[in-house]
Amino acid sequence: MDNTLAASVAHVTKTYGTGDGTVTALDNVSVGIRRGEFTAIMGPSGSGKSTLMHIMAGLDAPTSGQAFIGDSEITGLNDRDLTLLRRRKAGFIFQAFNLVPTLDVKANILLPFDLDGRRPRPDELHRVQDLVYELGLERRLTHRPHELSGGQQQRVAIARALAAAPELIFADEPTGNLDSRTGRDVLRILREASDTGQSIAMVTHDPVAASFADRVLFLGDGRIVADKPRQTPEEISAHMLRLEQEAAA
Amino acid sequence: MSFLRERGMGASVLVAALSSAFGVTLLATTAYLGFLAKTAMGEGGTVGLMVGILSGIFIIIAMYVGAIVTANTFSTIVAGRTREIALLRLIGSTASAERRRVAGQGLIVGAIGSAIGLAVGVGIAFAGTAAAGRILDAPAYGDAFQAWMALPSVIVVLTTWAAAWGGSRRVLSVTPLQALGGSVARSHEEARGGRVRAGFGIALGLLGTLLLVAGLLLGLFTPLAVVVAFVGGLLSFTAIVLAATAIMPPVLRLVGRAFGGSATSRMAAENALRYPERSSRMSIGVVVGVTLVVMFAVATETLEKVLVSGLTAEEADATGVSAFLDLFGGIMMALVGFSAIIAAVGLVNLLTIGVVQRRTELGLLRALGLSTSQIRRMVLLEAAHITIASTLLGVVLGVVYGWIGAQATAGSVAGTPAIVAPGVPWAPVTVVLVAMAVLTLLAAVTPTRLATRISPVEALAAD
Repeated sequence: MDNTLAASVAHVTKTYGTGDGTVTALDNVSVGIRRGEFTAIMGPSGSGKSTLMHIMAGLDAPTSGQAFIGDSEITGLNDRDLTLLRRRKAGFIFQAFNLVPTLDVKANILLPFDLDGRRPRPDELHRVQDLVYELGLERRLTHRPHELSGGQQQRVAIARALAAAPELIFADEPTGNLDSRTGRDVLRILREASDTGQSIAMVTHDPVAASFADRVLFLGDGRIVADKPRQTPEEISAHMLRLEQEAAA
Repeated sequence: MSFLRERGMGASVLVAALSSAFGVTLLATTAYLGFLAKTAMGEGGTVGLMVGILSGIFIIIAMYVGAIVTANTFSTIVAGRTREIALLRLIGSTASAERRRVAGQGLIVGAIGSAIGLAVGVGIAFAGTAAAGRILDAPAYGDAFQAWMALPSVIVVLTTWAAAWGGSRRVLSVTPLQALGGSVARSHEEARGGRVRAGFGIALGLLGTLLLVAGLLLGLFTPLAVVVAFVGGLLSFTAIVLAATAIMPPVLRLVGRAFGGSATSRMAAENALRYPERSSRMSIGVVVGVTLVVMFAVATETLEKVLVSGLTAEEADATGVSAFLDLFGGIMMALVGFSAIIAAVGLVNLLTIGVVQRRTELGLLRALGLSTSQIRRMVLLEAAHITIASTLLGVVLGVVYGWIGAQATAGSVAGTPAIVAPGVPWAPVTVVLVAMAVLTLLAAVTPTRLATRISPVEALAAD
């Protein structure tokens, strides 16, 4: 296995339903997310981009093919092992409902350690403290999520995802519920985290968001149709538009 | 009629059936007890009067418990239906029409449950009196079921209807906007009882306490004091039910602290308090059950102590008081055990709806690495919070009420009027504690099954 990859899938196919109603969400996809890179996964609705992310993160099982996180295969693992794997090796940032409403900010950030039944090590605690200051959350630690703005909530989710320095962070439309300025801030934070070595895979349909990434994967009809290095929003938009037109034709 | 398949409706039918069966069985049993006392002791003046009074009190208690629990269950259903109601409001239905619809469903649920309960109650009346007649070798009893014994079933239909109306008050505060999202993610319910209600509760509580003390003292002169004490108990207990949202959260918080600081414990503690009103109402249901059982256990034990005070052991045995009270107390405790079952249905309902409404949150936690065994632990702790808090409060109240009831009934009957310390029979109290532990486990089964089945992908995609 290539140890420069944070996660990968090999010949993954995912279908839903049976008989005439069968929908193929992913069609024999093989791709790797490179370590230390910020990768954007783009595609129109129904292109299979979310399914790809869910399979890579061990949230969903492929119909056939294999998925890996780092060098360990995750296909075929039982629920308990998958849960432990997500807990220890993956970080998640979702579009909405990222935080546990009954826990305060501090408890939300420390949740990955807490679920693992341990206290953070001194170096991890140090990292968390740095994150809290960098993200401007130091005065919010005792607040509940509902007392925070959308942008602040997303910062807390980022702090939680980064806290344990996971193998890979999965971000699913992290700016989808934010206004453009707040969204830009969130993307800048992810960009900086990636610059200091964090691997990130982000699913998005926003060309501006994807332009922050080192690499952009385009999906269409359950296949990878393009794999490009960093691009401008204009280039990405043009590419997306072409994909949409092809899909409609 | 498809609403009957909705989560919580089955539970409401069950509650109505249990209440109705409880009432019918209670009437049949008290009638039969009266018959037994009459044949065993002739028209024994004071004892006959006591049985008569206690029977009357019992019927009122039965109605009272049924009404509280039915109202609680219905308001939980309405709370779980906010989104659907909001959607109907969004497409143009008026709030009052929606409320009438909920109340109408209450009437149907009440009628179905009540009919089932009536059938079960009649069955128990015939089978029970026949069996008791054989065991006790008592004279033939031809009145196992009489038409007037169906009265509780009729009343349960009406109380379920009324309770559905009362419980649907919240329909009026549902805004169409809640259909568009947000309402599920809302973390803490702001709603607390108003000041007027609190003031009313305090006034009732004071008056009730005063009457309880009066009953206790008057009991030294006349057995009729039990009526004064009963009214005092009813008022003070109503005050506790009204003030449940003020009394239960601190008790729940106290219990929560005992479980330590891990994430699952903290979340369980917070979840038990997430909808303070709902948790308080449900735990009050359990409190009612525990209080009643403990009250009868303590009352019979204390009554025995009062009645035999001043007698030698042989004289006491000769009166047959102990044997009669043990039988009486046992039957009563078994009967009030019914209200604990009704409360248990309510608790299962509360936890289940809580899990259903937290789908997205549980999906998030699963994605972040919450294992199924951690979910199991969390739901179990949540149930334990409510049962432990309710048991603590119920045992304390039961001892106080039982003691005062016994004193008021029999303080004057013994040779020399006296106040004795409450007798706490440990066997029934242990049974209550074990039953509560079993209830905790049972109540967690369905919600745990639902919670562990949640797929993170599905739950998070819903938003």
